[in-house]
Amino acid sequence: MRGAKSAKWVVGAIVVAMAATACGGGSNDSGKGGGATFRLGITEPKSIDPINAQESEGTLVARQLFVGLYDVKDDGTLAPKLAESAKPNDAGDEWTFQIKKDTKFSNGEPVNAEAFIRGWTRVATKASASDVAYHMNGIAGYKELNGGSSDKFSGLSAEGDYTLKVKLSAPDFEFDKKTAHPAFSPMPKVAGAGDNKSFNDAPIGNGPFKMSGSWEHNKKITLVRNDDYGLTKAKLDKVELAILNPANGVTLEYKGFESGQFDWARMPVPQMPGAKKKYEPQGEWVKADVAGINYISPFNETSPMNSADARKAISYAIDRAEIAKGVFQGLQEPATALLPPNFKEVYKADVCSSCAKQDKAKAKEYAEKAGLKPGDTLDFGYNTGAGHEEWVQAVAKQVEDVLGLKVKLNGLPFKEALEKQQEKGAKGIWRQAWSADYPTADNFFAPLLSTNGINPDANGKALGDNRGRYSNPKFDELLVKARQTKDATERAKIYNEAEKLAIDEDQAVIPTWKRTQYRLVNTKKFTNVKIDFYEDPNLAEIGVK
Amino acid sequence: MGKYVIRRIGQMVVVLFGATLILFACLFVLPGDPVGSLGGDKARDPAVVEQLRERYGLDKPLAVQYGNYVTNLVKGDLGEDYTQRRQVTEVLGPKLGNTARLAVAAIIIDVVIGVLAGLVAALFRYSFWDVLVTLLTTFAIGFPSFVIGMVLQSTFSVNLGWFPLISDGSFNSMIMPAFTLAIIDAALVARLMRGTMLEVLRADYVKTAIAKGLPRRTVLLKHVMRNSIIPVVTYIGISFGGLLGGALITEAIFNWDGMGYALVTSIQQGNNPIIVGVVTYGVAVFVVLNLLVDLLYAVLDPRIRLS
Repeated sequence: MRGAKSAKWVVGAIVVAMAATACGGGSNDSGKGGGATFRLGITEPKSIDPINAQESEGTLVARQLFVGLYDVKDDGTLAPKLAESAKPNDAGDEWTFQIKKDTKFSNGEPVNAEAFIRGWTRVATKASASDVAYHMNGIAGYKELNGGSSDKFSGLSAEGDYTLKVKLSAPDFEFDKKTAHPAFSPMPKVAGAGDNKSFNDAPIGNGPFKMSGSWEHNKKITLVRNDDYGLTKAKLDKVELAILNPANGVTLEYKGFESGQFDWARMPVPQMPGAKKKYEPQGEWVKADVAGINYISPFNETSPMNSADARKAISYAIDRAEIAKGVFQGLQEPATALLPPNFKEVYKADVCSSCAKQDKAKAKEYAEKAGLKPGDTLDFGYNTGAGHEEWVQAVAKQVEDVLGLKVKLNGLPFKEALEKQQEKGAKGIWRQAWSADYPTADNFFAPLLSTNGINPDANGKALGDNRGRYSNPKFDELLVKARQTKDATERAKIYNEAEKLAIDEDQAVIPTWKRTQYRLVNTKKFTNVKIDFYEDPNLAEIGVK
Repeated sequence: MGKYVIRRIGQMVVVLFGATLILFACLFVLPGDPVGSLGGDKARDPAVVEQLRERYGLDKPLAVQYGNYVTNLVKGDLGEDYTQRRQVTEVLGPKLGNTARLAVAAIIIDVVIGVLAGLVAALFRYSFWDVLVTLLTTFAIGFPSFVIGMVLQSTFSVNLGWFPLISDGSFNSMIMPAFTLAIIDAALVARLMRGTMLEVLRADYVKTAIAKGLPRRTVLLKHVMRNSIIPVVTYIGISFGGLLGGALITEAIFNWDGMGYALVTSIQQGNNPIIVGVVTYGVAVFVVLNLLVDLLYAVLDPRIRLS
């Protein structure tokens, strides 16, 4: 029985080891409903350090920890933060920012022009391989720094302690708006290089909140008010962000709100009508048209979508109002422009004539002009598992009914879908959506519709965001002209002209629905809770009852 | 015995490398550049894509990539994940502990409920208790685990508020996911236990033991229990292996930060280093537990000689 005995020991040892890990559980301090603690659920961010903070969850935290030159109001206009003034030169290729004096990082380091240069350089430097660095690619010296041939950002310089000079490689009178992105945050010396892991998980910043402890991965992030904040201080004492798994996160947020464990929540789409009925009368239902757009992207280069007439035929055939009412239960609204309504300065409704309402006669007329015949095949691609199935099918049915086309639905997982769209010979139409990084029309038009936005590699694969491959030199010229125009009203006019050209005349893309967001908010305890420009709660402004 | 164990461990190593090789090949075949896009609809800056491909060695042929992976694996280095750029061992370490705790809790509930219910049902055959066990186990096996999980969650967390809705890793928040995992298995164990016990109770050596005048207790414990528990041990061993690999659905429902959670999110993100890490670990656990179960047979049934 010698062998048997040793087997017993092995098993015994493993059981003991596992029991030991079982006892190592964390302490349980949930369930205390502290005074002014705002609680919500997010999914695990990629990064909360501005070095690589990109999706909504990551930038939510980064924007509480850091404050830069500007923030964006929910109507798309700038709210000055540390910038006391911003002056472009007459050519628009050099900006001078006056920075608010005597503010500090929470470790006491001064927030001066050097701190901004340090922060921007840290993001753009090659070793950081940052996904958000490209927001800085208009600054002189970006190529050298990002390409690794220099470790200085030659376009940036400090004059005295509080004057930041920024040289651009091409004129851009809207550069100030870009700096609202968290990538443009100032950094203290203690931050070190971009891969400083301990700083990545517990950044020391100058924002309205600071970290309480480190980021507990997949568990929680706790923020506390920064009482040394140099601007208007937050009223909340604490923000608790529970980290939920993406597979079930939205459901948990909603359940958590219902059981009083969250003060802010998203909802699963099927639950929305019910939630609206229940929470709207209590004032706990918040809605915002945010800075994004849902659209259909036709492949402009290949048949059958290589003529404006063909694209218009599809657009006229879609009954947006019907789908908004049926599939979306009135929770999404048809879009009639590519720009979102909260870009107050440039937004114009009804830019896209074919979007106004379904017009079967016009649809057929344009189809005939384009040579689209009943029975022809139209490929319609979309990414699966993101809730697009129902409306995509509804659109396909309408196009089939009106034009007699055979719509071939092609649902693929996200990565495969992307690969397919990038292919050189991609044809038909594809579902698309876009959200703004900062409140400029350029942030929609340049990546989505300019020739540079196609960015083909050696094999002709479209690496940019203009995957529909729309290209019109006249449109490109308008964009350059707009960037060079100092006067905001004049500039808006040029953008309107550009939008008219691409969306109405050329029908480069087919707008479908606005990006509308809904949240549940605990208004019994908190006041002034809003969905901000980035679709997050406006934590620094929330009041307590 | 010693030789047997060594041979089995040798086989384990081969299985493990085979598994990683197959995985690697599969991930390579999958369409889509693993670092080619950001989440959402936005394309990644091509300059960054190139930097990352270089950083993760994705620009090298698959054979070289696999060679590097294996060399690092032997050193205990699983590489860096693609989304957060943290060490895979650091990402998976806490998750492994969490999954193991949950698995142990589930298996304890599983064994206690399953064996007891099976025992009672077999000893009091056709009684009220037997019928009750049969009924309940039928229900438990019939319901998918996500239904059980969601019902438990909305009853005890949302409505009654007895347990936290969002697991924070504490003992309290482990109870419901553990029950959810255990219920179906417990039902199967109960049925298995009942069946084998009824068989053993009819066996000649049990009749002999009773005829010899041994006390009922001794007969039950020494003769009946010991012999009827062998299939149960096999079953529990396999199911424990499955549990240690991580529970995909249950972990998602209760937000339990374990290996299943890691696998689901990493597949969504195309985060290959995590996928390879989780699956390699899952295979390792399974192989090790199978070996342990085989060794346990020898302990429980002296007739089985391992050679």
